[in-house]
Amino acid sequence: MARRFAAILSLLCLLVPGGAAALDRAAILTEICSGDFRAQQTALESLAGAGAEAGREGALWARAVVQGFEGRDLRCGADAAFIDRSDGLVSAETLEPASPGGDLSAPSVNLRLRATAASAGFVLALFTEESAEARLRAAGRLDRRREAVSAAVLTAALETETDPAVAQAIGDIRTSLLLRDADPARRAEAIAAIAADATLRNRTTIAEALANEPDPAVQAAGKAALAEIDRTLAIGNALATLYSGASYASVLVLAALGLAIIFGLMGVINLAQGELIMVGAYATWFTQEAIRIVLPAALDWYLFIAIPVSFAAAALVGIAIEATVIRRLYDRPLMTLLATWAISLLLINAVRVGIGTQNLEFHQPGYVSGGFPVVGDFIMTSNRLFAIAIAAAAFFAVLALIRFTTLGMNMRAVTQNRAMAGAAGVDTRQTDRLAFGLGSGLAGLAGLALSPLYNVNPTMGTGFIVDSFMVVVLGGVGSLAGAVVAAFGIGQINVAIEPVYGAVAAKVIVLLLVILFIQRRPEGLFAPKGRR
Amino acid sequence: MRRRSLLKGLGITALGASASSFPLPGLIRRAHAADTVKIGCLFSSSGTMANIEGRLNYVAQMAAEEINAAGGVLGKTVEVVVTDPGSDWPLYAQLGRQLIAQDEVASLFGCWTSVSRKSVLPVVEQNNALLYYPLHFEGEENSENVVYLNSPPSSSVLPAVEYLMSEEGGAAKRFFMLGSDYVWPRTINQQLKGYWTDKGFDPSAWREEYVPVGHSNFQTLVNEIRSFADQPGGQPIVVLTVVGNSIPDFFREFVNQGIAAFDVPVLGLDAVEADFEGLDTTELVGHLNCWAYLQNAPGPRNQEFLANWAAYVGANDVPFRPDVAIDPMVSTYDGVHLWAMAAEKAGSFDVPAVREASAGLSFACPSGYEIAMTMENTYVKRGVFIGSLNEAQGYDILWQSEGTPEPVPFSPYMNS
Repeated sequence: MARRFAAILSLLCLLVPGGAAALDRAAILTEICSGDFRAQQTALESLAGAGAEAGREGALWARAVVQGFEGRDLRCGADAAFIDRSDGLVSAETLEPASPGGDLSAPSVNLRLRATAASAGFVLALFTEESAEARLRAAGRLDRRREAVSAAVLTAALETETDPAVAQAIGDIRTSLLLRDADPARRAEAIAAIAADATLRNRTTIAEALANEPDPAVQAAGKAALAEIDRTLAIGNALATLYSGASYASVLVLAALGLAIIFGLMGVINLAQGELIMVGAYATWFTQEAIRIVLPAALDWYLFIAIPVSFAAAALVGIAIEATVIRRLYDRPLMTLLATWAISLLLINAVRVGIGTQNLEFHQPGYVSGGFPVVGDFIMTSNRLFAIAIAAAAFFAVLALIRFTTLGMNMRAVTQNRAMAGAAGVDTRQTDRLAFGLGSGLAGLAGLALSPLYNVNPTMGTGFIVDSFMVVVLGGVGSLAGAVVAAFGIGQINVAIEPVYGAVAAKVIVLLLVILFIQRRPEGLFAPKGRR
Repeated sequence: MRRRSLLKGLGITALGASASSFPLPGLIRRAHAADTVKIGCLFSSSGTMANIEGRLNYVAQMAAEEINAAGGVLGKTVEVVVTDPGSDWPLYAQLGRQLIAQDEVASLFGCWTSVSRKSVLPVVEQNNALLYYPLHFEGEENSENVVYLNSPPSSSVLPAVEYLMSEEGGAAKRFFMLGSDYVWPRTINQQLKGYWTDKGFDPSAWREEYVPVGHSNFQTLVNEIRSFADQPGGQPIVVLTVVGNSIPDFFREFVNQGIAAFDVPVLGLDAVEADFEGLDTTELVGHLNCWAYLQNAPGPRNQEFLANWAAYVGANDVPFRPDVAIDPMVSTYDGVHLWAMAAEKAGSFDVPAVREASAGLSFACPSGYEIAMTMENTYVKRGVFIGSLNEAQGYDILWQSEGTPEPVPFSPYMNS
């Protein structure tokens, strides 16, 4: 009880300016180890104030304890606490190496305590982080958790802050805290500071404050701020919908691009296309594992290193399929359908037996994890941006290849009139094989681009095959641009319907629309000009 | 968008059904030896459930091996017949019938999703067979032909939600229910809504959304969750009842949109350790689940079970991780043992005798609880764990029940 009192006292000290009493480290640690939820909460809150109270050194210690608690590395003994570091135990009080006697246990971390600990960590980062960038990030995180920080602590942080941008950010948070201040002018300032970041959360905060705001001038300022936020949010939401649609479309484009060549240009119904995507994803994984062993420093760039690997792996499998099976079935499309279906089962089961059914674990480098806020509540997620970039690059590369290279010219010639092209000296066999390889390689590339988005397992490809055929048929068989337009159409319609009628209905409605469209226009969006 | 499958639904699944049942050991007739007794497994090794359901086949075989090593049941060796229903719900019924009629199995162990159990239910009832079902589920069913090895909502979901609504659990006030579109999520959510109404919550405190089974693009829904969370009214949580590969897909999007567990915790009712095998969980720390077993359960029985599983995986070249154990695995393992004990006690493999002998049996479960069959129905009393996801793709135990609560098959909240 006395210790608890001491902790409360130390909290009180925070509020007294210049109260530079040393932290009672032992008391705080005893509270954290007490197992009593409220005592732990109080102790964590007093740790958050350590920077204001005991300067940088105190903050460094407090941060070590908070991080130990959050990471479940804190160990409680009978009369002392320790932090379990990779190189052995250290005393939680002094951070010096120590060897405890007796049993140690880790205090349990529930959601509430985790939130308090995380907030304390951000506050302490303001006092301890060397780089201004890291402090700015902590201030940003803190801005979302204003209720966990006091103006006094922020004032203390401002006193030692040297970087103007960080100081500005901390000052803004401090101003935001004045929303319930007695002075109307300060309340208006707080509203302005909060409204500067137009998110729905901030809108809620302001709206709740306005509900019992007596001052008409502040009311008016608040209303104006809300209207401004609403405008920004509307723009953000529109962009978010467009982005969702575009990212969904990019997945469709990636899955369908290879098929657009194989089915669209060559007329082969390849049901193993999805499995070629799977082959590409597995090739990416093998590349990653190889780099992990050979060149660990370059691990972050494995997705780029794997581009040629996944393309080549899928292309080789595709060429092998063409040379052994499809070549004999060019004039029997129904047989191709059955044969490629069999190949797809063969590939799935080969992988299942050889590697297993579990989802593969991919390293997620910074450029495909997380996201960055753009406008309002719109967050651009990096893994989807990566897929959009690969889809766009692949599309333009294929377009250029078909338009400007000899192989492309031959492919177009064979598509338009096989016999005539042969008579003109085009090696149609060779062209078929290379076109099939190109289509397969593109599927492999899709596997690479989709690996940060989807689970990679033996059956991952089966889901894409129906979508790909739908995109190719809707776009107009033989038209690459048609496939892209169709993918964007389906993507946007889908994300527009989803929030209103739900994901299940969205699928049904999109399918119905596609059926209706195909009935009205069987040749698809862009009819090919050549004779088939 | 993986299952936009009109084409698939019409043609390909039919093909798939026949094609995927081709390599089934279940179809390969084995010499009928007089000194063996067969039990059948209905767990998918392909399709969207494969990654998690697949391991149950192996754990059933492991339990059978343990029983055989101790002398078998009634002097007979237990033989496990494995099938692959391919995550195709009607196929579970077809293969179940086949196991009963052709292979003459003494009992069935099978099904993960409730929709597959509902599909097998008429088959076991018509043939008076016995199905051991290892998943926690929505309740509202009490067939004497099914042994419900895991908990109905009263002893799994409701304690977990209650915890989240407590001061310590974060005082949740608003609820976003997101589920796959089939019977389990819809029934669970129906009961939850009844429960919240009973606790005095207004319907504006919750939202309910469903996605098709196998759904993978959660962008729009995670956006909606963010905007739901940012609205006034108190601490929001997500009650997640999506199944299969949708679980890692959901969490990947959740993390990428920058939502932390302490801002919006997700109670993943079907989330198990195995769902996170391909994910980096450092940003997911703190999300919750609730089961009757967690891998970190204390006690020597669990250590023994984990060691046996690791050894079994190593010895038999099982394509799953040796260091991951999930609740349905343990429940299946318990089920095989409970069946063997019941048959031994009954002195017969006849279903009515086995069922009769089951009442009141108890078994030392790896979870550390002494689990027991109830006397009045075929439910099993299990303990309750609430888990909190950690950095190492596992669940730490946040809370566990004192004893094994009495299972309540029919929820009082269903129609309120």
